[in-house]
Amino acid sequence: MKNMETVCEKIFKLAKGVQCEVTAETRDWALTRFAENVISQNVASSSLHLSVRLLDSGRTAKVNLNQADDASLKRAVAAGLETLRTQKKDPHLLPLARPRALPAGKNLYDRETACLPPGWRAGKAAELARACKKTGQTACGTVENGAATLVVANSLGLYAEHSESFAGHSVTVRDKDGSGWAERQDFDAAKIPFALINETARAKAAASRKPREIKPGKYTVVLEPHAAAGLLSYLAVYGFGGQLYNEGRSFVCGKLGKKALSPLLTLEDNSIDGAAPGMPFDYEGQPRTRVTLVENGVLKSVVHDRKTAKKAKTASTGHALPQPSYMGPIPLNLAVKPGHGSLEALIKGTERGVLVTQFHYTNILRPQTVEMTGMTRNGTFMIEDGRIAYPIKNMRFTQGMVEAFGRVEAVSGLPVLISEWGGISCPAMRLGGFNFSSSTKF
Amino acid sequence: MFKLASKAIEVANKHRVDFGDIRIVEERRQGLAVKNGEIAGLTDQVSMGYGVRVLYKGAWGFASGSVMTERGVAETARKAVAIAKASRLLMAGRVRLAPEPAYQDIWQTPFLKDPFAVPTQQKLDLLLKADALLRRNKKVRVAASEMRFIREHQWHMTTEGSRIEQVLLSSGASITATAVENGESQMRGYPCSHGGQTLGGGWEIIEAMDLAAHAERVGDEAAALLKAPQCQAGVRDLIISGNQMALQIHESVGHASELDRVLGYEESYAGSSFATTEKLGKFRYGSPIVNIVADATLPGGLATAGYDDDAVKAQRWHIVKDGILSGYMTNREFCGRIGKERSWGSCRADGFANIPITRICNLSLMPGHSSTEELIAGVRDGVMMENNVSWSIDQRRLNFQFGCEIGWEIKNGRKGRMLKNPTYQGITPEFWGSCDAIAGPQEWRLWGVANCGKGQPGQTAMMCHGSSPARFRKVKIGVHG
Repeated sequence: MKNMETVCEKIFKLAKGVQCEVTAETRDWALTRFAENVISQNVASSSLHLSVRLLDSGRTAKVNLNQADDASLKRAVAAGLETLRTQKKDPHLLPLARPRALPAGKNLYDRETACLPPGWRAGKAAELARACKKTGQTACGTVENGAATLVVANSLGLYAEHSESFAGHSVTVRDKDGSGWAERQDFDAAKIPFALINETARAKAAASRKPREIKPGKYTVVLEPHAAAGLLSYLAVYGFGGQLYNEGRSFVCGKLGKKALSPLLTLEDNSIDGAAPGMPFDYEGQPRTRVTLVENGVLKSVVHDRKTAKKAKTASTGHALPQPSYMGPIPLNLAVKPGHGSLEALIKGTERGVLVTQFHYTNILRPQTVEMTGMTRNGTFMIEDGRIAYPIKNMRFTQGMVEAFGRVEAVSGLPVLISEWGGISCPAMRLGGFNFSSSTKF
Repeated sequence: MFKLASKAIEVANKHRVDFGDIRIVEERRQGLAVKNGEIAGLTDQVSMGYGVRVLYKGAWGFASGSVMTERGVAETARKAVAIAKASRLLMAGRVRLAPEPAYQDIWQTPFLKDPFAVPTQQKLDLLLKADALLRRNKKVRVAASEMRFIREHQWHMTTEGSRIEQVLLSSGASITATAVENGESQMRGYPCSHGGQTLGGGWEIIEAMDLAAHAERVGDEAAALLKAPQCQAGVRDLIISGNQMALQIHESVGHASELDRVLGYEESYAGSSFATTEKLGKFRYGSPIVNIVADATLPGGLATAGYDDDAVKAQRWHIVKDGILSGYMTNREFCGRIGKERSWGSCRADGFANIPITRICNLSLMPGHSSTEELIAGVRDGVMMENNVSWSIDQRRLNFQFGCEIGWEIKNGRKGRMLKNPTYQGITPEFWGSCDAIAGPQEWRLWGVANCGKGQPGQTAMMCHGSSPARFRKVKIGVHG
């Protein structure tokens, strides 16, 4: 973004010697949404987001704007300087970060994916909708694509830039009282298996018709990758952030180096060359580092930004969110170490259990045990004697995730890249004694 | 701004669209946060841009941009038309909008004191004072105090001739204490947690909260919860107070009555609704004392405006009347599906970059004739719960589970000891059907929901829910299993 280098320089000059950090993001995004077998929304957006953070002798101010013309920049920086002038000193405020060498990271930009036109998205939606109409099914979902570029720069000479393209296809199919779902995202639209997604959702919808009611209680569960990822990402965010750890509010507190989860679980955060790659620097412009969070069930590390690292007397791992951050650093590029075999093999090894396609409306009840609640959705099945026996009505779970992921019985191979918080590469898993606390009517 | 807006209308008319509009939005947001004596956030945000919507031969297209020139607007309008043409590839029939008169009008949120004119340090001093009081109790490990102000200036112009200028203003604040001991944490907030209380209006809203006056109590209650007994599971009576009733209304009535969701247009993301259209006017949603009213004219409401983003004039209507499902949240596209010739006007967009979608309006439980004391006196074995901490509901808005900050045991008509980790669970119509008493207008107040998510791409909207405490019989308290 050559223009953005110029914009940053202009802002630094306007800051008149005051330490200044600029975060700039440009985003071009288009999404076609379909429901009831027709296109229901078709939108495109181009945006610029500029964030200017000023620091001077223990005082700070932040101004965000979306116009980069000279007059807007001047007004914004002047407003920030005025806020600084009238403010009392904060002795805890960290100065800006110095430039550091950054890892190259993976190329996550594909020009074709970034520029796919509305006709391409409409065509993908139409393929599915036409197939569904023929069999009396109803398709809902999205096709999206676009690209974003992020720049983090500061007046101490730091400049970091990262671009990513993205594409996604999410499908829900209704078939009378059955429903099925499948979804994939990738940096390259050509790698998205549209036909497989459509077929998976349609088959699940057909197979989940006439669901039976089962009693709530504790069941072995086979979690498909998206269901497992939805729970694991909470475990990571509420357990392995440096701020919650420093505040004594994480289950990891006092347990680093100890076994607290299943020996089958290994979890790392690795934006550089991991299975869920991302930008190679954080929002302070510091290099992202690979952090092993869990190794064979042993809690190994938490992630830090500069502020939480200072408090913990360690070094930043490069996981800062935009500063100042209320939440503190969190892992955003997670990868679960895959096991062996397929989802089908997990099912085959299950004597009696519940197969979960997806969870809906998950929320946290108690952060320190990562106790969560949520509903199953779009394809929940009873497994008996190693095979899918019949579809079941949806159920609510209420379950501590530290406890649940202490009872991992098997992890499949073939992980899937999933957008959840940031990104997570996650295989399917089988967990024992998972608590379903109530059921619903469908 | 209308001169700039007219460029989009010109492009839309040139392409002979069925309908077109442009919303230019200039927004200013200020957020301040103090955490454990340190400034945890101090952000001023200014943004400006426009969203152009066209209905071309019965198919929708939408594009947004932020280049504030006639050329930029025209390019964005042409992009919206191109997208609408692509939408024609997959349509069941032509989208037709319910008629609405054209308006030329100006509307503004009433306020007493402009929050953006209040010096930043005055705001920080107020937060820092509350923060220090929150931390007087040594068990409070995390004290957090926040304030936020949003002013949205909109210029809305349609091909039908509407030219509507609106300025919407909201102000909000909260204080929260988290006490930690022996691997357990407990949180207490005022006026409530989850970003606190936000209402339509100015600095006077913050002054009325008097954060510092409540801070020490909030810290002490968070610490006391650590020692409080666990709320035990069982089928018992429930009294809901504080902002929990707002969440109960929001999740089990508000979203369930969004007509786009009811018709299946949110299936891929947030889900659908059990409150299907054949139930309108017949279905028993709650007991006969349950009256739930949508109101875009409600003073202080976050969804209060002169017009919605379909250019429909603000209205008030029943969603549930005497316990019967009586209405929906509508836009101009879908209201015809329930035989309505005119939309109730509940279509809104998040900022300039998003397409307007059907949204929950201000939605309130009408007061009854009781008092909290009378509600308590009528309970032999129950729990009173206050302020939400967690919420979850299924994709048809039937099975819900809520967790609250604090509970109070009720035995033989008397409020007793404090209980921690209170939760309750239910099925929507059965739950509202068990409502047998609602406190009166003297206890009725508005609660803001400032972070309601919906749609793809995701949009955030704000609305208010008014209620007074209410009693529900034989509710599943606690987690079973």
